[in-house]
Amino acid sequence: MNDSDPDSIDALPAEPGEVGLVAPVDYVSDEPFTFESGRTIPGYTLRYETYGRLNAAGDNAILVCHALSGDHHCAGFHSLSDRKVGWWNNIIGPGKALDTNRYFVLCCNVLGGCQGSTGPLSIDPETGQPYGINFPIVSIRDMVRTQERWLRAIGVTQLAGVIGGSMGGMQVLEWGITFPNFVRKLLAMATTARESAQAIAFNEVGRQAILQDPDWNEGNYAAGEGPRVGLAIARMMAHITYLSDASMARKFGRRTVANSKESTGAFDVQFEVESYLRYQGKSFTNRFDANSYLYITRALDQFDLAAGPGSLEAAFEPVTADALVVGFTSDWLFPTNQNRAITTALLRAGKNASYAELTTDLGHDSFLLESPELYALVRDFLAS
Amino acid sequence: MSLRTNKRTVDLQVITDWVTPSSCVLDLGCGRGVLLEELVQQKSIKGIGVDLDFDKISACVKRGLSAYQSDMMGFMAEFDDHHFDHVICSRTLEEVDQPNTVIAEALRVGHSLTVGFANYGYWKNRLDSVLHGRKPQNEVHPTSWGESRPANPLTIADFESFCTEQGYRITRQVHLRGDWKTPCTFARNLRAGYALYELSR
Repeated sequence: MNDSDPDSIDALPAEPGEVGLVAPVDYVSDEPFTFESGRTIPGYTLRYETYGRLNAAGDNAILVCHALSGDHHCAGFHSLSDRKVGWWNNIIGPGKALDTNRYFVLCCNVLGGCQGSTGPLSIDPETGQPYGINFPIVSIRDMVRTQERWLRAIGVTQLAGVIGGSMGGMQVLEWGITFPNFVRKLLAMATTARESAQAIAFNEVGRQAILQDPDWNEGNYAAGEGPRVGLAIARMMAHITYLSDASMARKFGRRTVANSKESTGAFDVQFEVESYLRYQGKSFTNRFDANSYLYITRALDQFDLAAGPGSLEAAFEPVTADALVVGFTSDWLFPTNQNRAITTALLRAGKNASYAELTTDLGHDSFLLESPELYALVRDFLAS
Repeated sequence: MSLRTNKRTVDLQVITDWVTPSSCVLDLGCGRGVLLEELVQQKSIKGIGVDLDFDKISACVKRGLSAYQSDMMGFMAEFDDHHFDHVICSRTLEEVDQPNTVIAEALRVGHSLTVGFANYGYWKNRLDSVLHGRKPQNEVHPTSWGESRPANPLTIADFESFCTEQGYRITRQVHLRGDWKTPCTFARNLRAGYALYELSR
């Protein structure tokens, strides 16, 4: 309110480009890794992708952290026949907010995941069988600690920034606390410092759907099989929590689907939203492992930065990086007040921290929004 | 330099002079962060700005400042007594509901509160209302009624009697003439265009 003169308008950047064809790479660590829970595995693999080039000093890297159902493929496409680009392609590329002309952008599939990184699907060297539910309990901090080893191994000396939404945002906060000297900027969106009862409740329904499916079989199932019904229901329910009443009304309304030939039952798909959720559930079972879903939702639920140190301020004491937290008004999974609480705790702890809030009606998934304001904020924060 | 920019600079200069080097500063209604940036550069302060508007916060972030998108009262409620050395309301009080609660809260979270405001009792404003029967319209109040925001303008007399009633101590003050440059020493409520005060409990 002090002044209303707009800042001088910078020269417009050249038309943003695409990262194009990319291929995942595996980092394999032969050193043992001990989980927060105390258990040790003899080594691990992280599957990752990179966009842009690491500079000679090794300090222009930006780590992207993915959410529960995401993976390392966040930009570009894997083959010319790919119909979908990586999940955050809108923000990553030459001239985009995460400018690959300037930064070396990378993303790995988290520990405990099922897209190539070590997780319940991996073979336990002691038994020669998949770990299944013998895999150690994974925490957000475990994910971050495996990432740090990987980044050092590939020549990154310091991260220019860590960025992520939802579970990705939790990793961002954990990075700032666990490896304060390794990261200069923390950018967390649509996230929380501790899972709320509501968020835990949703995860529990998802887990129960999996656990009650007879095909789960105590976590023992062959690759490509398992509790497909339970996992699909878990995904359908979770997907609702990523949207909002307004966005669902806009996308589906009460529109009905044309009756298919064999559709005679009263409880066959009637509304478009049903059809959409069934499709989401089914396609999820083709790419996600049910045990991974159990492990990662457990990691989310156990995430509570204040629990150990006694308060959030105490938890943030080690942070040296500048932080920016972004909340979205329609996010009811990690509501704005939880995003604010992160920032005020950082400020009370004497850290440099900002909070910005975007008015959107897309719900939790708003952080993936195509928004020039969000792009400018991200770009300017990383460059400041 | 336009008159408007000039006026802003005067405000900045006085406030910057009053702020202790390396102190912790809260700027309520920080706008695009011009004042905070000046304080960081001149006084090496540790600052945080609060504003309601996303674009203002974004502009602060671009300047490398810490800024928080929120209403003032909600933000201050998150802090202990005297967390900040200085709280600043530069041309902000005219725009808030119940400024008495904002001032009380600012003096809880801060050791001192600096306020700067355009004096609504300035003679040209009085002319507009008494002579012409119109809402003041000039470079300080540039908008016509139809395009104005809700405002809660105050005069030097309003503010000083408010401070006396509330028992707030005025530790520093500066009054400037209509050019917002020349000091004004008498008949201030009539002749001063701009006023700055530093308060403490």
